[in-house]
Amino acid sequence: MQKERKVKNLLFSKINRKLTILFAIVGFVAPALAIFYFYTVIVSAFPDYFLAEQALLLKIITIMIIILISVVAGIIGFFVSQSITKPIKQLYNATLEIEKGNYDVRVDIKTNDEIEELGHAFNVTTAALSKMEQKKKEIDEAKTEFLNIVSHELRSPMTPMKAQLQMLEAGYFGKLDEKQKESLSIIIRNSDRLDNIISDFLEVSRIESARLKFDFRETDLAQLVKDTVIFMQGFAKEKNIRLVEKIKSLPKIQADPDRISQVLRNLLNNAIKFSDENSEVVVSAELKNDYILFCVKDYGCGLSQENQVWVFEPFYQVENSNHRKHNGTGLGLTICRGIVESQKGKIWVESQKGAGCKFYFTVPLNPIINVEPIKVLFSQKDVIERKIHEEFRTMLGAIGEVEFNELKNKNALNKDDLIKHIDSFTGLYILIPEQSFEFKNKIKEIFDDEKGNIIKKKNETRNI
Amino acid sequence: MQKRILIVDDEPDIRDSIKTILESNGYIVATAIDGDDCLEKINEVKPDLILLDIMMPGTPVEEVIKKISDIKITFMSVVRISEARKKGLFKQENIVDFLQKPFNVSDLVDRVGLILKE
Repeated sequence: MQKERKVKNLLFSKINRKLTILFAIVGFVAPALAIFYFYTVIVSAFPDYFLAEQALLLKIITIMIIILISVVAGIIGFFVSQSITKPIKQLYNATLEIEKGNYDVRVDIKTNDEIEELGHAFNVTTAALSKMEQKKKEIDEAKTEFLNIVSHELRSPMTPMKAQLQMLEAGYFGKLDEKQKESLSIIIRNSDRLDNIISDFLEVSRIESARLKFDFRETDLAQLVKDTVIFMQGFAKEKNIRLVEKIKSLPKIQADPDRISQVLRNLLNNAIKFSDENSEVVVSAELKNDYILFCVKDYGCGLSQENQVWVFEPFYQVENSNHRKHNGTGLGLTICRGIVESQKGKIWVESQKGAGCKFYFTVPLNPIINVEPIKVLFSQKDVIERKIHEEFRTMLGAIGEVEFNELKNKNALNKDDLIKHIDSFTGLYILIPEQSFEFKNKIKEIFDDEKGNIIKKKNETRNI
Repeated sequence: MQKRILIVDDEPDIRDSIKTILESNGYIVATAIDGDDCLEKINEVKPDLILLDIMMPGTPVEEVIKKISDIKITFMSVVRISEARKKGLFKQENIVDFLQKPFNVSDLVDRVGLILKE
């Protein structure tokens, strides 16, 4: 369908028009000159009065013939130029496909001239490109697979190791003196840390390969939040932080309680980490239109604008010597993003430096059946963001810069939110409808692009 | 009366660790190296509880549990409980618990104690 639209646009391409006019002019001038020459010869050969009437008739007929020839030449010109522009159109459409990431596109040009050679060269190039793309995908899959295997293999020795360490600690093999206890506690602490890193890696590999399992069942979310808060209270005791839940009544929905609890625990864990002693962390949840909005709010040091953008990226830890001691794996929020986005929810942070953080995430009322792979490690997100950023700048200039940053901070750089936002520009007369239409199309293209890649990837994975 | 427990795991280190832990806590413990071995030993050991690893060579666990209906089973696995649930491993009445590996020693003792309490 896309292809036809492009072809239609080019029915009277510039080359087409130029050649048609050229032929028409040649068709007009050539016989005109010939007949003018013929006419002067005849006129010079006969006296003025001789055959005057016939001369007039001749003139009229001549003009008619010239016009006729010119029209015929124009039509011929159109078809001749068509035969040239048609393969060019084909090439043009093929390059559009390449831009979209479809490297399997090939052109079939049999004109027996330079254009055919160009078409051949094009095909060779796309073949090379698709080979490269294939390689890239293989490497990508190998990365996820590697992560998966390594994490599993690393995890199995953890079980007996941790068990034996705990047995030592619990005195299964006799009493330990102080020095031995101290040594053991260091080993245990670090084996726990190693285990956390391994399980986080496993989780990431599950998210990336869409193997993240969701067990949807009727869930009492209010109870779930309460239970999670009670569970996390133990971790908050050390800093004397109060965990408070403020829940308006919630419906029972089909959801995976383990996963939601996992996200909540992660956010609460972060909130506790970055809160001052004797402070408070508030968990709230409320029903919005077709989703439930969760919020974990702390009164800690907050995040700068810059950090807000990066906080969901893997291995990003807020650069602050104070917090380096909170040796997390650097994957916690990345995993949260993976879990939330796999369920077609959203996650974002609102914060001001020094004034605490509010982490929000949503869970749709209707669970999604097909979980799509989400790239959380070395993601395409920055590529998409850069493209959107460019569009905002070209369409809106300086305002675009401000608008883009605002949307980015709200983590609203997804297709639906962007389209809605662009519509609001038309409402505010910032953009005329035509511009807004063009803008929206460009945004859609950016996302279709990425979606195409994911779907392709998914199909390939299935074949393997 | 002392309760009997059968540990089924293909990893000797895990079998030995759990055996030591449970014996120290006053249980009679036997071990099996996979599902088939487990089925063979059930009659001889007559366990009150089977600690069963999910991923083992030989007959898949899904098949093994179908042949055990009157003995309580606790699964042990590195996979998450939600994955195990998706595999449909929790349909039988006698499946009583799921122990996430790597497990906590005191947690293991507590859970087993709870299941086997008179």
